[in-house]
Amino acid sequence: MTTTFAVDVRGLTKRFGTTRALDGLNLQVEAGTVAGFLGPNGSGKSTTIRILLGLLRADGGEATLLGGDPWRDAVQLHRRIAYVAGDVTLWPNLTGGQTIDILGSLRGDLDRDRVDDFLARFDLDPTKKARSYSKGNRQKVALVAAFASRAELLFLDEPTNGLDPLMEGVFTECVAEARAEGRSVLLSSHIFAEVEKLCDTVTIIRDGRTVESGTLKDLRHLKRSTVTVTLDSDPAALEAIDGVHDLIADGGHTSFTVDSVALPRVLTALAALGPRDLVSTPPSLEELFLRHYGVHAAADDHEVARP
Amino acid sequence: MSTRVAARSAAPDAALPRAGVLADAALGVGILMRFILRRNWLRMLIWLIVLAGMVVLVIDSQRSLFPTQADRDAYAKVANTPAIAALTGLPYAAGTLGGILNIKLWMTVAIGLSFAVIFMVNRNGRAEEESGRTELLRSGVLGKNAYSLANWLVFSAFAVVVGLACSAAAISQGLPADGAFVMGGSFAGVGFVFVGVAAIAGQLARTSRGANALASTVLAVSYLIRAVADVNATDDRASWLTWLSPIGWGQQTRSYGENLWWPLLLCLAGGTLLCGIALALERRRDLGAGLLPDRVGPRTASALVRTQVGLSLRLQRGSLIGWTVGIIVGGLFFGGVAKAMVDLLKPDNPITQAFVGGSTNVLDGLLGFFLMANALLVAAFVLQSTDSIRAEEAAGRTEIQWSSAISRVRWAAARMVVPAVASLGLLALSGACVGLAYGAAVDDPSQSGRFALASLAYWPTALLMVGLVVFCAAVIPRAAAAVTWGIYGVVVILSMFGDLFGLPDWVTKNTPFTAVPRLDETFTILPLVVITVLVLVAGGVGLWVLQRRDMVSA
Repeated sequence: MTTTFAVDVRGLTKRFGTTRALDGLNLQVEAGTVAGFLGPNGSGKSTTIRILLGLLRADGGEATLLGGDPWRDAVQLHRRIAYVAGDVTLWPNLTGGQTIDILGSLRGDLDRDRVDDFLARFDLDPTKKARSYSKGNRQKVALVAAFASRAELLFLDEPTNGLDPLMEGVFTECVAEARAEGRSVLLSSHIFAEVEKLCDTVTIIRDGRTVESGTLKDLRHLKRSTVTVTLDSDPAALEAIDGVHDLIADGGHTSFTVDSVALPRVLTALAALGPRDLVSTPPSLEELFLRHYGVHAAADDHEVARP
Repeated sequence: MSTRVAARSAAPDAALPRAGVLADAALGVGILMRFILRRNWLRMLIWLIVLAGMVVLVIDSQRSLFPTQADRDAYAKVANTPAIAALTGLPYAAGTLGGILNIKLWMTVAIGLSFAVIFMVNRNGRAEEESGRTELLRSGVLGKNAYSLANWLVFSAFAVVVGLACSAAAISQGLPADGAFVMGGSFAGVGFVFVGVAAIAGQLARTSRGANALASTVLAVSYLIRAVADVNATDDRASWLTWLSPIGWGQQTRSYGENLWWPLLLCLAGGTLLCGIALALERRRDLGAGLLPDRVGPRTASALVRTQVGLSLRLQRGSLIGWTVGIIVGGLFFGGVAKAMVDLLKPDNPITQAFVGGSTNVLDGLLGFFLMANALLVAAFVLQSTDSIRAEEAAGRTEIQWSSAISRVRWAAARMVVPAVASLGLLALSGACVGLAYGAAVDDPSQSGRFALASLAYWPTALLMVGLVVFCAAVIPRAAAAVTWGIYGVVVILSMFGDLFGLPDWVTKNTPFTAVPRLDETFTILPLVVITVLVLVAGGVGLWVLQRRDMVSA
C-alpha cells in the first residue's frame, strides 16, 4: 500500500545562533487527513511550520511539501496551501473584508461566496478596520481567508487561541468539512480535547525532536489503560501478574494500570476474584503528552528561546 | 429590587451634606488636577520651554539680521508677499522688532500650542477612557464630570502659562511690555479655544485617534480660513472671514501694532462655550461611548488594492497626500521668497557664499539651493515610504504575505515602485512650484518647466535612497531604520552645511545631492550615471539577500 504524504519531514534541524530549535524532527501528514502537532511553547512547532512555509531555511534533514521543496518551490507551493498564524497581525487601517480579499487574490482563488459563507459562520463584521479588532477577531480574519480558499493543505498554528467556545465549535466543524472535501490539515495546538476530537494522527514533539507519533488509537494501544474494579476478594493476587502496575486497593475498590498486552491475563485473573463492577479507561492524550513532559520538563522548555 | 436599593441608600445619603448637582458632578476635581499634573508635568514643561524658548531665539536672530531701523524699514517694504500672508499671517508693523517676531513666529507658536493642548487633552481624556482607566476612577467616589473638568482646567491653565512665558520671554529681550502681554494673551486665547475643541472632539469620537483627527481637522480648517482672509486683505487688514477662525481672533489682537485686547474676549467666550457644550454632552452619554458612530470601511477590496502595487499605494495613501501638500507648500514658499531674499542678501556675505555656492548669479544659486533642499525632502519621503519593506517584517505582517503565492523579490519590488514613481512626480511638482512662485514674482510664467526639469536631475538620487533602504532592510533588518536615517542625516548635514563647517570640497561636492548638477551649473551626465549604477548594485544585492535569508520573526 502506498500512502501519499502532504507533508513529509525527516530529520529536520534548525539552529538560531547557539539555540538548537529543531533537532532531528520527523513529521508526516497523510493526504486527506488531519494531523495534530503537540508540544509546549518553544518546542519548535512554529519553527517547523515556518520552514514548511519557506519563511525559514532548514539547516539539515529533508522536508517535502505536496511533492515539492518548501524553500525552492515556495511560490508554486503557496498556491496550494493556506496558513493561519497563532498571533495574526493585520494592516491596522484596512478592514477585515479587504484583508481577506487581498489574501485570496494573492493565492489567486478568491471566491466571494465562500468568503461570505465563512464570515457568517464565524460571525465576523468585515467592515471594521483591523485596528479595532480583538485578538479573536483578527484570528477569525485569517481563519475565514484560509477556509474560504481552495488550498489543498491548511497549516493552522494554534488557531483557536483567542476564540470563544462557540467559535471553537464552528472551527471544529470547518476542519471536519475541510477533511471531507479531501484537504489535509496540520493543526498545532495546546488543547488536547480539540486534537482528540479532530485529528487522525498525532505528533508530539519535545525540544525540537519527535517523541511520539501515530494514530491516536495506536498511541493508546501501546500505553497502559487504567482499570478500576470493585472486588469482594483480596486483590493481592493481581499484583503478581506481569504487566500490572500502580495497584492501589482501598476497601472494595481497586485501581491499577495495565499494559495492553497483559490485558487477557489480567481479565482471567479478575474473573476469578468475582468483580462486581469494572471500568477500563484508555490513556487520554493529556496523559500521553504529560508522560513526556513532567512539570519540570515543561518548565525547562520555557527557557528555550523562540526564534 | 431597584427601589429597595434606592430606599436603603437614602439613609446614608441623607447624612451627607447636600451639594448642588454640579458640585456632585465635579467632586474630586482638585485631586484629579494634581493627578493629571503629576502624570504630565514633564510633557508640559518641554512644550513650555520649546515654545517660549523659540521667542527668545527668534528675537535674537532677527535683531542681528536687521540691526538698524533702516534694515527693518527695508524689510517692511518686501515683507508683505502673498506667500508670507498665506503661511504665517498678514504682516503689519513689519518695521518693528515685535512685528518681525510676529511674522516669523506667531503662527508657529499658536499652531504649536494648539496641537499641544489637543494632544494632551485627548491623552488625558478620550485615551484614558478608551484604555479603561477612567472606568476604574469613575467607579470610585468621583463626580461624573470631575475627570473631564480637571483635564480641561489643567490645560487651559497650561495655555495661560505658556502665553505668560512667551510674554516674559519677549520682555526679557527688550520688547515693549504692552505688546508682549497682548501677544502672550493671544497665544493663551487660541490655546484655550482648542482646549474646548479637543473637549468636544473627545465626546464625539470613541477613540483617541479619532478625537485627535477631529480636533486637528478643526485646527486645519481654522488655519485655512484665516489664510484665505489674510491673502484677501485690503492694505494690512485681513478680510472679514478672519473672524470665522479662532486663529484669526488671536491674530486680530495685532500685538506690537494696535495692541487690541477685546478679540481675546471672543477666545474666552468661545472656549467656555465649547467646554460647556462638551460638559452637557458628557452628562448625556455612557462611559466609553462616542456620539459619532465608528467609521466602517469597505466590505471588499477593490481591484486596485488587490494588486501588490495598489496595496502598497493604499497603505501609504495618507502619508503620500501629506507629503504632496508639504512639497507644494514648500515649493511655493521657497519660490516666492527667493527674489526678496536675494534683494536682502549681500553677495559677499560668507553665509550667502556657503549656501549659493560659487555661483556668480546669486539668484540662480539660491534657487538651485532650494531645489536641492526640496530634493532632500523628497528623499525623506522616499526613505519613509520604502521603509515599509522593513516595517512590514518587523510588525509580523510578512508571515502571512510571504506564505502566499508571491516571491519575496516581487513583493519587495512592488513596495519599491511607489517611492520610485512618487519621487519622480514629487520632484517635478516641487520644481514646478518653485518655478511657478518665482515666475509670479518676476512676471515670467515660463519658469515652471525649467525648474521642474532641473529638479528631476535628483531622481537618480531619490532612487539611490530606495536602493539604500532595500539593501539595509535585507542585510541588517533589525538595525535598518536607524542606519538609513542616520546616513540620511549625515548626508543632509554635509550637503546643506558642509561649506559652513569648512569641510574640503571633495566631501561637500560629492554627496548624492551635491554631486547632481545644479540649476546654475553646467549639466553633466557622469554623476547621474554613477548614482544609477549604485542604485542597481544596492537594490540588486538587497533583493538577492532578501530572497535567501530567513524571515525575521516579530
